[in-house]
Amino acid sequence: MSEKQLILVVDDDPDLVEAVSMKLESLEYRVAKAYDGEEAMEKIKEEKPILVILDVMMPRKNGWEVCDDIKNNDTLKNIVVVLLTAVADSVKTTSYTHHDGKTTLADDYIPKPIDLDKLMEIVQDHCR
Amino acid sequence: MNDNRKDFLKMSIKDAFFQPRVLIVDDEVRIQKVCRRLLAEEGCDVESAENGIKGLKMIKEKHFDIILLDLMMPGISGLEVLPDIKAHHPDTVVIVITGYATLEHSIETMKKGAFDFLAKPFSPQELRIVISKAIEFIRTLQDIATEKSRMRVMINTLSNGVLTTDNQKQIALANPAFLKMIGCRKTSVIGHKVSEFIKDSKLLDMIDQAIHQSEEIFTEITDEIDMTLSKDEETMTIGIRCIPFRDRLNRNLGSITVFNDVTALKKIDQLKSNFVSMVAHEIKSPLNSILMQLKVVLDGLAGELTEKQKEILQRSSDRIKSLTTLSSELLDLSKIESGLINQEREELNLIELINGLVEFYRDKAASKSIILTVEKTKKEIRMMGNRTNIEEVVSNLISNAIRYSPNGGTITVLADEKSDCAKIMVSDTGIGIPKDDLNHIFDRFFRVKNETTRYINGTGLGLSIVKSIVDAHHGTIEVESEVNKGTCFSIYFPKSEYKI
Repeated sequence: MSEKQLILVVDDDPDLVEAVSMKLESLEYRVAKAYDGEEAMEKIKEEKPILVILDVMMPRKNGWEVCDDIKNNDTLKNIVVVLLTAVADSVKTTSYTHHDGKTTLADDYIPKPIDLDKLMEIVQDHCR
Repeated sequence: MNDNRKDFLKMSIKDAFFQPRVLIVDDEVRIQKVCRRLLAEEGCDVESAENGIKGLKMIKEKHFDIILLDLMMPGISGLEVLPDIKAHHPDTVVIVITGYATLEHSIETMKKGAFDFLAKPFSPQELRIVISKAIEFIRTLQDIATEKSRMRVMINTLSNGVLTTDNQKQIALANPAFLKMIGCRKTSVIGHKVSEFIKDSKLLDMIDQAIHQSEEIFTEITDEIDMTLSKDEETMTIGIRCIPFRDRLNRNLGSITVFNDVTALKKIDQLKSNFVSMVAHEIKSPLNSILMQLKVVLDGLAGELTEKQKEILQRSSDRIKSLTTLSSELLDLSKIESGLINQEREELNLIELINGLVEFYRDKAASKSIILTVEKTKKEIRMMGNRTNIEEVVSNLISNAIRYSPNGGTITVLADEKSDCAKIMVSDTGIGIPKDDLNHIFDRFFRVKNETTRYINGTGLGLSIVKSIVDAHHGTIEVESEVNKGTCFSIYFPKSEYKI
């Protein structure tokens, strides 16, 4: 790998962004950070990350909208979107855990609370 | 007649807590005298008239409880007086005195409203018997009237609405609270069809169900309906309980419906749920964030850790994880209670649903060498319910069974159906529940506390969630348990005859 791949981490909780970033950096990725949907869109257009880890519940612009903006834009649509859904907030059952992330245009999703190791696996799968 | 019997008769007349007013209408002075004396002795207030015209005049002036009426009198006969008495005082008991007690005459007077007859000549004892029978009759009527009035006052002062109908769905009784709830200003609704005043099809359906309930079963039909009286007024939530009422031969005579305005309760409950939900959300996010940071440290990204440090951080991390589970379950509970549960009922196949969940838990069970099996009775069992909720119920019971079973146990899940209900059973060979604790296991935050459960994580919310869901589906849950032998939960959901 000649150049480190850039990943954008978006969440309104700075501690979470920090933790995910540290983990990503330890795996030899470059990390950009954003703390709401609007900021995320700016960073995406500016820095063209290969993958975005995107929280759903955010101020200003939520994750679903950011995801739609990425996927409906020809120059951005190849960016991989991984949603952080709060599925675990709702009643947790087998049938439930599978649908939310998939009905959007997102490439993948991971429910909160985030299992960092699992998130890293997902990232590595998509960045291969 | 022996003395005992005499005493009894005497007592039965004198015991009456009222003094019966008796009028004797007879042209024979001798009979008047004898009756007066005898009845006065028995504690009656006696007056007399020597002919029909005078008798009628007295009757119009005041009320008598009993009238002894001679049939053969000069002027107008007893037979002619009788209808007049009945017209003035329908409740007066008339005993006819007749010199020629033929069957035809007796029938004729009875038809005209006489209570009994005395054949001349009669003995004092015969008179006493007839009079005591009449008093007994009057007393029974009074008892019924008193009881009726007591009931009416009671029902009319209730803050719950009460509506009773006959089996033709005509209103037999409607108390002021009910009329107020449906915004009805008319005072006389009795005898009208229920549908003239109630437009809510769900409620009409419930009454219909109650009236047509087959005699082998007696179920209370319960539901909640929202009612809005007018545009400016708030929607009320009314809890409704509808039951049939029956005669001694168990035939349906009609329905009784009780209405309970639960609007305020619902509002408070909603506030509480919102509060719980908000707190849980606010707690959850920072906890998740702490977990992530601990993970980063544990992974050595913030510098090398000693084994001891790792162990302590791992333990903190586990504790925080159980806190996040608690907040999730609190959220579930508040969501279930805030009415989410009443939405989207669909027809479910229980067998399919259970198979899916058992597969989901198979690995977890296997990790403790627990055998998890489904006992199959039928290919499909259908019921009306909310899929997510019913899944939550089964899922909670299975995961409890796994957690509270030592390694190597057996968990059996069974679904069965009877004519009127669907049954789900989850039984295990686990540690069991002590008898004293059985009454509390559905309480919120209750956990069985002893040496065996000390190291089992739990929030004490799982079963109360189960109970809330079962209740909302009008089902029942039963539990049998023996310490160190195992526990068995059985849930019965009513079948879809009454669709919600």
